[in-house]
Amino acid sequence: MELLIIFISAAIVNNFVLSLFLGICPFIGVSNKISSSLSMGMATTFVMVITAVVSWILYFKILLPYNLKFLQIPSFILVIASLVQFVEMVIKKVSQPIYRSLGIFLPLITTNCAILGLALLLSMRNYSFWESIFFGLGAGAGFTMALVIMAGIREELEMADVPEAFKGAPITLITAGLLALAFMGFAGMI
Amino acid sequence: MNNSIKMIIVLTSIALVSGVVLSGVSNWAAPHIESNRIAETEAAIYLVHNNARSYKKIETEFGKVYKVYDEEGIPIGYSIVSEGNGFQGKIRLMIGVDTALTKITAIEILEQVETPGLGSRITEDEFKNQFRNLSAQPSVNWVKGKTPEKPNEIEAITGATISSKSVCAIINDVLQKARIEKQSNKL
Amino acid sequence: MKKQISYWKEFSKGLWEINPTFKQVLGMCPTLAVTVSAINGVAMALATTFVLIFSSMLISTIRKLVPSQVRIAAYIVIIATFVTIADFVMKAKFPELSKALGPFVPLIVVNCVILGRAEAFASKNNPLRSLLDALGNGTGFLIALTLMGSIRELLGNRTIFGYQLLPESFQPLLIMILPAGAFITLGLMMGLANIYMNKKKKSEIDSVISKYKESKATFEESKA
Repeated sequence: MELLIIFISAAIVNNFVLSLFLGICPFIGVSNKISSSLSMGMATTFVMVITAVVSWILYFKILLPYNLKFLQIPSFILVIASLVQFVEMVIKKVSQPIYRSLGIFLPLITTNCAILGLALLLSMRNYSFWESIFFGLGAGAGFTMALVIMAGIREELEMADVPEAFKGAPITLITAGLLALAFMGFAGMI
Repeated sequence: MNNSIKMIIVLTSIALVSGVVLSGVSNWAAPHIESNRIAETEAAIYLVHNNARSYKKIETEFGKVYKVYDEEGIPIGYSIVSEGNGFQGKIRLMIGVDTALTKITAIEILEQVETPGLGSRITEDEFKNQFRNLSAQPSVNWVKGKTPEKPNEIEAITGATISSKSVCAIINDVLQKARIEKQSNKL
Repeated sequence: MKKQISYWKEFSKGLWEINPTFKQVLGMCPTLAVTVSAINGVAMALATTFVLIFSSMLISTIRKLVPSQVRIAAYIVIIATFVTIADFVMKAKFPELSKALGPFVPLIVVNCVILGRAEAFASKNNPLRSLLDALGNGTGFLIALTLMGSIRELLGNRTIFGYQLLPESFQPLLIMILPAGAFITLGLMMGLANIYMNKKKKSEIDSVISKYKESKATFEESKA
């Protein structure tokens, strides 16, 4: 039950993009097409779950017991960067089709603050091992959902007559604001 | 010089310097951070018990309980930290109760992520002051849209019923656990 | 030989021309998340500027020593070190602010503004220029965040920096402090900035055209 609450909270109620403002850069940058945003979302979810596992082990089994908490930020970011590289290599070896659809998004994920945010939040909130995994899953699902919905809207927006000055980032941000407002409707769920 | 050796040397030395610098900064900051944390908890403990002068920490199964004493060293009640789910996320409270665990002296909201302007009004004095000298016998109740009549009732905030309800639920839940603990003389 | 631009220009370009928020659209996460109040915006921008200045200068100093294959990894470690220092100092000396900014202080590490300036500027220029560039970009970031924080605090809470500016009769617009308000405010501000830029560009073009017409007219006159 507790795990389900963590999942729903991360995915919908406290959506990473729309209420915690994590991962805004890819949210604005990659949300042009539904197909590519779905791939991006899946790649991010995949990395998020692995990051949750690895950073949990790193933080609770190495940094805390050996009193090295001050190395948290550098070690987290290095682990994430090498993890992304590693995942890219494995996918390339294992399956070419998956690599072709997800490959180009993987390097972008390193600078996605949602990943580091996930690692920091799970250590701040003292999540247990399984809680961390569900937190990562929920965060990834929420990120994917926000990205795909946004892409759907933007595909329609292509046809709309947007004032010249508001084309691109400004109208995307305003649309995101309206989406965030809609997501507030989920607030009472937990 | 071999390029890969240079790479390793440069990265290792940067990482080493970074580690040394950070351990230094951490050594300087750690006592400050620790004293800030203690000061914060102490402030909250005394905030819900105006007459308290000293306290003793008791670890229980349901969280931290602080037994507080007045200037003559006579126990006057407990300050209990507890948390639960609110409208949007966790609410963490400091609850002050008398020694018999039947009357609330005051409450303080330590952490909350409720909707700004609506649910977050649980942090305002108007709401918190309703809990001063509130009876918790048999439990704390809430009413909506009218003035409370019974001694154990508070009025929920208009537009933030769930947040108000959650605060009551957290209090009732932890007091029940505390009473069981009290019966077995652990408090 | 590349023409060197003046030191003043190196600083001032960050304020508007390549303003991190409005022009480069970088570092969106903290811009949106922490600007519930003006003071939070200022604190966040100052912490970011601190990291930006020191990491830019250090990276620029050692730029010739770092092999290019590992430069990103080296930059990230350097940036992460300064971010940790900023985080510890804030936790020790300003616990209230540090609580309000939450995980966004450690998240300065992945703020693309810093890595962006390191890669695009500090790795190619001397420490003095890198310092000016970092100062300029930091100030630009500060302006954007203060503006955002002030607007949201004023409309959502009637105050700026805690001082009440609007009368009690003004019903606060709750949406401004909600996440939705952050997105909408930033979207509108960027749109307005674009309108201003387009107007300026248009008037520049217009003035060039009218000058051309004038000179053409005087030329025809002299010929006649």
